[in-house]
Amino acid sequence: MTKSSDNRTISSAISRRRFNAALAASGALLAAPATLRRARAAAPLKIGCLAPLTGFFAREGQNCKRGFDVAGPMLADMGMAVEIMMADTESNPDKARTAAEKLIGEGAQLLIGTFVSGETAAVAQVAEQRGIPHVINIAAAPQITEQGYKFVFRNFATGPMLVINGLGLIKSLFAATGTTPKTAVFMHVNDTFGTAMSKGIGALFPKMDMPFEIVETIAYDPKAKDLSVEVTKAKATGADILMPVSHGADAIMLIREMVKQRWEPMGVMTPGSPGTYEAQFYKALGKYSEYVIANVPWIDPKTAMSQEFAKRFGDMFSGEMLELNAGFSFEAVLIAADAHKRAGSADPNALADALRATNIEEHVMIGGPLAFNDKGQNVNIASAALQNLERRPTVVLPAESAEAAPVFPMPGWGDAKRG
Amino acid sequence: MIRNLATELSTRDAVAATTLVLLLVAAPFVVGDYLLSVILIILYFAYVGQAWNLMMGIAGQLSLGHALYVGLGAYTAAALFVHFDVPPAIGLFAAMAVAALAGAVIGFLAFRFGISGVYFALLTIAFAEFTRILFSHFDWVGATSGFFLPVENRTSSDLVNLRGTSVMFYYVILTLAAGALVFVRLLAGTRLGYYWRAIREDQIAAQALGINVFRYKMLAVVISAAMTAVGGVFLAFYYNNLFPTDVFGIHRSIEIIVAPIIGGLGTYFGPVVGAFLIGILGEGLTNATEAAGIQTAGIKQLVYGVILLLIIKLVPGGLWPLIARRLGFSIKERRK
Repeated sequence: MTKSSDNRTISSAISRRRFNAALAASGALLAAPATLRRARAAAPLKIGCLAPLTGFFAREGQNCKRGFDVAGPMLADMGMAVEIMMADTESNPDKARTAAEKLIGEGAQLLIGTFVSGETAAVAQVAEQRGIPHVINIAAAPQITEQGYKFVFRNFATGPMLVINGLGLIKSLFAATGTTPKTAVFMHVNDTFGTAMSKGIGALFPKMDMPFEIVETIAYDPKAKDLSVEVTKAKATGADILMPVSHGADAIMLIREMVKQRWEPMGVMTPGSPGTYEAQFYKALGKYSEYVIANVPWIDPKTAMSQEFAKRFGDMFSGEMLELNAGFSFEAVLIAADAHKRAGSADPNALADALRATNIEEHVMIGGPLAFNDKGQNVNIASAALQNLERRPTVVLPAESAEAAPVFPMPGWGDAKRG
Repeated sequence: MIRNLATELSTRDAVAATTLVLLLVAAPFVVGDYLLSVILIILYFAYVGQAWNLMMGIAGQLSLGHALYVGLGAYTAAALFVHFDVPPAIGLFAAMAVAALAGAVIGFLAFRFGISGVYFALLTIAFAEFTRILFSHFDWVGATSGFFLPVENRTSSDLVNLRGTSVMFYYVILTLAAGALVFVRLLAGTRLGYYWRAIREDQIAAQALGINVFRYKMLAVVISAAMTAVGGVFLAFYYNNLFPTDVFGIHRSIEIIVAPIIGGLGTYFGPVVGAFLIGILGEGLTNATEAAGIQTAGIKQLVYGVILLLIIKLVPGGLWPLIARRLGFSIKERRK
């Protein structure tokens, strides 16, 4: 994804003046009368940001870091000064714990992180023991916010939320396009993530009154070098749609095999996994990447804040694709800075109280206001139906955030519309 | 036996050992939470490294899947605690038994059918890997969603239930690491220890001398597995969450063996020295790259890897024998 295509909408849709006006409006909304009575926190809030910058999850961790990097200067311009203290968890829970201790020792007043559930749980425990607020940017294990923690807040969807939102969007897509398939094949990578998604779908699919039936579930090895047998099996079912849960290279392999075997279902739509909206997917598949749909949490292209965020991201990281990890990481800093501003202090208890009262209407990711329930979980996070159009991930649902109308059924592999 | 061990120490050894113990005991009163957490992890690796050292360094049986025993110990004690309210002080024995049984199965399959060397190592990796996959589908312990222990923010310590502050966990792992060192040293001085070393040096010769090779190799695996499981129990209650990929993963097995190899394979103090070196090196490089303003991800790992390579190349016997010789320590230690 190039910078120009990333920011195509942003640059044309918003001026700095318009953004400033929107900021003023959102600032007024955030600044409740009680807040106005408080003195503005003088010193910047010291935020310890943890992410797996190296190791197995390095790619995702680097995306998180980009979100943190944009957040600092952008929030400062919004009157919320923060100091980002970055730490690498090295994709290792042991290191995550010591890194959290180190950040606190160096003066971090709030922690954000980490992306990996095991690491996040380790950091949450340190935060709780030390009485330092912890805002989770990304981690889906539901139990993290079921521990009765008082200082832990999560602004990310749990695993079941991801599945419910993903399946719900599939229904919405059928309603929006007036086309309802009758059968589907579910294919998933047989690793930790894929297995969890499979179990989630198995448990929630029957409860969601879905208009189609899953006629076959096919698991494949994450290190598979060939998916011809799996695709042959899926094709033989004659299913109307394919629901894959993939990671990256396997998603490319899957589409290539479908093209090779000339299997043209009505659509390919993942109920909530990565792999189909990444730069390498477009680069490797070209026109065959078009029209694939992923239902995942995503950046709302319609808010002034997200547009400014995207613009700054493009300026700072030319050539890098803006995606959900950066978006959620930015939002975590926003939540922290907002709480600091309202608390008027960096006292941990005051910050935690302010975090509990969080209610941010305008933000970056698709979904309702940023707010936490009594367990510290944001339950307003929604997913977007993200369709590949003109070699970029394009929000097609929900309607209020859509950049384009969904295309379903998708054109055949040889169709001229694919360009 | 302890008296024998004490008589083997020279005055210099005794002074050094006492100083080290006093420093470690005093650490929670001197260092901050960050350094304490670093030392705690170092001691953990010293402990599990010692357990692995018993099997590889003394008995000569290469295991590259010791994460299996960490995971089994961790999950057994945690499941007993969560599902049946069995405190870890009791669950510990069940954890040791389960891990010892797993070790016995692997050992039996390998030693009965003449699998040894790298093939034995591959077998241990295979068992660890398929157990990871098994636990990834084991809903009773959370499968891939993770298994979480109830967390209490305590200011007091409860050793029976392993609930308490970081300082409590620090003293627990310090005791375990010191205990393992003494235990392995004492065991190595017994007839069993001599049998192990004979098997390590030349299995056929040992067999010709009448040593029941199968039995004593099995004993090495079983004892090492049970010891490692104790480390797993500690890990479970310290972190309060378990994910199959984290505890059974091959990276966990590799982490366990690095300290004894760097410190000195087959030496009693090698795992401790290796764990300290690796821990200090890791954190030191993190701090050094930060202080130097180096933002490039991976630089630390690169330097870390190069240093480990240099150590292995320049001091293939490990650091501890070199240090011991230079400083004039006289503790009897034998290595291949």
